[in-house]
Amino acid sequence: MDVYWSPNLIAACYAAGALSALLARWSGRLALTVGHLAALAGAIAGIGVALDVLLGEPGRTLTQPLPDLFPFAQLTLAVDGLSAFFVLVISIVAVAAAIYGPAYLRAHTPNAGPTRQAAQAFALNLFLGCMVFVCCAGDALSFLLCWEGMTLASYVLVVSDDRDGENARAGLLYMVMTHGGTALLLVAFLCLTERAGSFDFAGLRAAAAELDATTRTTLFFLALGGFATKAGVIPLHVWLPRAHPAAPSHVSALMSGVMLKVAIYGILRFGFDLLAPVAGPLPASWGWTVLVAGTISAVLGVLYALQQHDLKRLLAFHSVENIGIILIGVGLAMILWRRDDTGGVLATVALTAALLHTVNHAAFKGLLFLGAGSVLCRTHVRNMEELGGLARRMPWTAGLFLLGAVAISALPPLNGFVSEWLTFQALLGGAGRLHGPAGLVIVFSAAMLALTGGLAATCFAKAFGVTFLGRARTPHAEHATEAPTAMLVGMVWLAVLCVGLGVAPGYAMRLLDAPTAGLLQGPGASAVVTAHGPLVLSTAPTPGATAISMTMVAALLIALMAVAWVLRRGWRHSPVRSAPTWTCGMRPTARFDYTATAFAKPLRLVFAALYRPRRAVSRETAGTAYVLSRIHYAGEVVDLSETQIYHRVQRGITVLARTIRLRSTGRIHGYIGFVLGALFLALLLFGVGQK
Amino acid sequence: MTGERPFELVLLELVLLVLLGPLVTGIIQKLKARLQCRQGAGILQPYRDLAKLLRKGTVQADTASGFFHSIPVLVLAATVAAGALVPVLRAGAPAFALGDALMLLGLLALARFLTAVGAFDAGGAFGGMGASREMTIAPLVEPVLMMVVFSTAIAAGTTELGALAAHRGTSWIFAWRAADFLGFAAMLVLLPAETGRIPVDNPDTHLELTMLHEGMLLEHSGPGLGCMLLASHTRQIVTLALVATLFFPIAADGALAVDLLLGAGAFAAKILVLAIFLALVESSYAKLRLFRVPQYLGIGFVCAFTALALRIL
Repeated sequence: MDVYWSPNLIAACYAAGALSALLARWSGRLALTVGHLAALAGAIAGIGVALDVLLGEPGRTLTQPLPDLFPFAQLTLAVDGLSAFFVLVISIVAVAAAIYGPAYLRAHTPNAGPTRQAAQAFALNLFLGCMVFVCCAGDALSFLLCWEGMTLASYVLVVSDDRDGENARAGLLYMVMTHGGTALLLVAFLCLTERAGSFDFAGLRAAAAELDATTRTTLFFLALGGFATKAGVIPLHVWLPRAHPAAPSHVSALMSGVMLKVAIYGILRFGFDLLAPVAGPLPASWGWTVLVAGTISAVLGVLYALQQHDLKRLLAFHSVENIGIILIGVGLAMILWRRDDTGGVLATVALTAALLHTVNHAAFKGLLFLGAGSVLCRTHVRNMEELGGLARRMPWTAGLFLLGAVAISALPPLNGFVSEWLTFQALLGGAGRLHGPAGLVIVFSAAMLALTGGLAATCFAKAFGVTFLGRARTPHAEHATEAPTAMLVGMVWLAVLCVGLGVAPGYAMRLLDAPTAGLLQGPGASAVVTAHGPLVLSTAPTPGATAISMTMVAALLIALMAVAWVLRRGWRHSPVRSAPTWTCGMRPTARFDYTATAFAKPLRLVFAALYRPRRAVSRETAGTAYVLSRIHYAGEVVDLSETQIYHRVQRGITVLARTIRLRSTGRIHGYIGFVLGALFLALLLFGVGQK
Repeated sequence: MTGERPFELVLLELVLLVLLGPLVTGIIQKLKARLQCRQGAGILQPYRDLAKLLRKGTVQADTASGFFHSIPVLVLAATVAAGALVPVLRAGAPAFALGDALMLLGLLALARFLTAVGAFDAGGAFGGMGASREMTIAPLVEPVLMMVVFSTAIAAGTTELGALAAHRGTSWIFAWRAADFLGFAAMLVLLPAETGRIPVDNPDTHLELTMLHEGMLLEHSGPGLGCMLLASHTRQIVTLALVATLFFPIAADGALAVDLLLGAGAFAAKILVLAIFLALVESSYAKLRLFRVPQYLGIGFVCAFTALALRIL
């Protein structure tokens, strides 16, 4: 075991960072800076540990016992390929967030008191540490402890930014929803630990091998419910678009880019490892549920994102979409795993696609949130209708945001395209393998994925165009200046990853070998996807399989751009004349710029059945009906799962509470009667169960 | 990989596509004019327009940012790169891995995305309106187009276009099955949408009520506009070549110069037939209202989905 890169080092860095909050006694700024530096060190240590495991000998698991804190359980860390991969993803974004954070907090909230700064430094380090150690946990207890720590620390960060009521409500909803999810996880874990008699994963695995099919599936769905709540799968996503934008932007980047992935880690760990049958394929219901839930999340997530005009909220909805895309890959891998030889290769392709999209999404969503943060800290406006024209004032931020937008819209030659291409290939291969209705569902899912990609491009044409191009719509946007260098450095780091993973994805496949081979006990990612050399991506190791080369396409694009540049200059090389835009003879103002609401209107009408758009227009006329003095427009779309599910549940609870209140008379013997009745009922139920 | 198409051939095909792109537009325009009992401009008119634009200076909106200047370069490069992915003279995978049908659609989508982004930059309402409409239609067209590609790709087991064409071989329409007919019907429905023609868009108009693609080009001028127009021509011929590849595979597969000439002749014939189809449709239908377009594309979706279902079930 390499002594230098051990999880202890990560823990030490994050612990030091958390303790640096104490420095706030002297200076809040010092606490913030030291806290973020420690987080940066922790992130680098995390990358070191992850690469050590991923590039080391295959199949190695780094195990390490933890000090005995509890008499009833031995806590351990176990870093295998899957854990190391997720630690790597977390650490990559953590590097950017740690570089970006101090400058952002100083620029965004210059008047923050030392208490708040101390809390932010403490919670950020705790959050990062807990995320890393959820993935490294080798037993159920440390998993759950870190999971809870992750939730609590992120809650503190969500409510730390502003003290207004909306943030508090978002935080409360977040707490309620994730604790509901954690309760499901707790049940699943406790069922297993009770049977195993121990908390460590090896014991749980052995206990799970004895389970009958029904219990196994029930436990999987409990765990899936818990993880899906954290991942923001529709319809369990309602907290996500509220909580993520409320946090400081670098924390939003971490929550959207990384925290959701910890839930994906959980689904993979439970589905392919802890609960998987010893031999034979996974129960069909698992994979299909995940695939269908992923498809619905992808399509609805992007559709709702399209109608958001709050930049950070729009990005948060896109996280729902991308989690859906990841789950499509995961679900397909679950369906195809251990079916037969071809199915095995396809399962590897599907899981590779999912894992690659995990790291890709972390990179571009992190980049986009940081970009939105730069805009926010310079303009203090999140509504894109009040922005505009920022590309001339913040050219670096605009360019980096555009790069992220191209990547997230799954357009070549950037990284989003690569993972979606692999997902498409896996879906197509799966459809070819599973004939009949199953194949049709898979193809339909592929068509929905195509729709998702197209809608994402529309959404980001809107987000980028309205925010950064045209004229400044308000003085906030007019007086914006470029973000501080430290923030740009954080963004450039993620942008480099987006380009690198897009242009030469073959080199990253080596890192996916350990998780894919370890989970699926089959060929590793690079044996399948880069069988024809690192510059070529293919879908099967056999010759004749579909193969593309992102590197070649990027080179072709650059060559063609050089040719097009010559054409663009024209034959005369006459200088560019500048003139006002033609606005039908009126004086051009920012009112002529197309708004985000107007841009999204055609799709709002096309998908009216989903959006149920409402609008209210009130006109004030001056004297005659033909002269308008004021016009007020208000429009909104509803989130169907909110109105159809949550509001109904809420109404049900209210009705129930009212009924109970009628019975609650305040007389003590009435209550004693209720308690006795409940006791009797419980005894009856469990007595029947015992027999 | 069989590697029937060496690098030189791919490059030759690419140059051929770009050079012939404006000619297809010219032929369609001429045909439309004749069908409407007009004399019409010569079929070389698009080339003259391009040459004129490249000689002109550039006037740029004073609100535009630095991006605006490079948008035509990026759009043209992305569209032409898509042209490198369709086989023209001969079927078969290229000798080196480049891209497949998904990459082709991705590159065209990249060009469209950048065009839409550029349309915002001038700060006029028309650009945004055109971008909004184009980006409304595009995500509805894309999945159907992909399903048509899938319906042939599932039979062949690959999405590489050259390999797809080779797999289909020279089997002419007699060897088609129901799925092929339905897929082709879906493709014909999509063709006007993807090439920006009536009944979805009208390339001849600059009236704000009807503009889709043209609205986004309004603020470009001089050589920049020339690049954007060349990209439109290329996009059209690439789309037609995609249809030809998926449904009427390439005629000759020998390596001799005669075979290549035969392939070129067959390609020209196929493109001409599709161009005549477009001209006929454009002359005999009116443009649809924007909100009727999704229903129109729905026909394509149903055809494509049925084609896929027939393939898989």
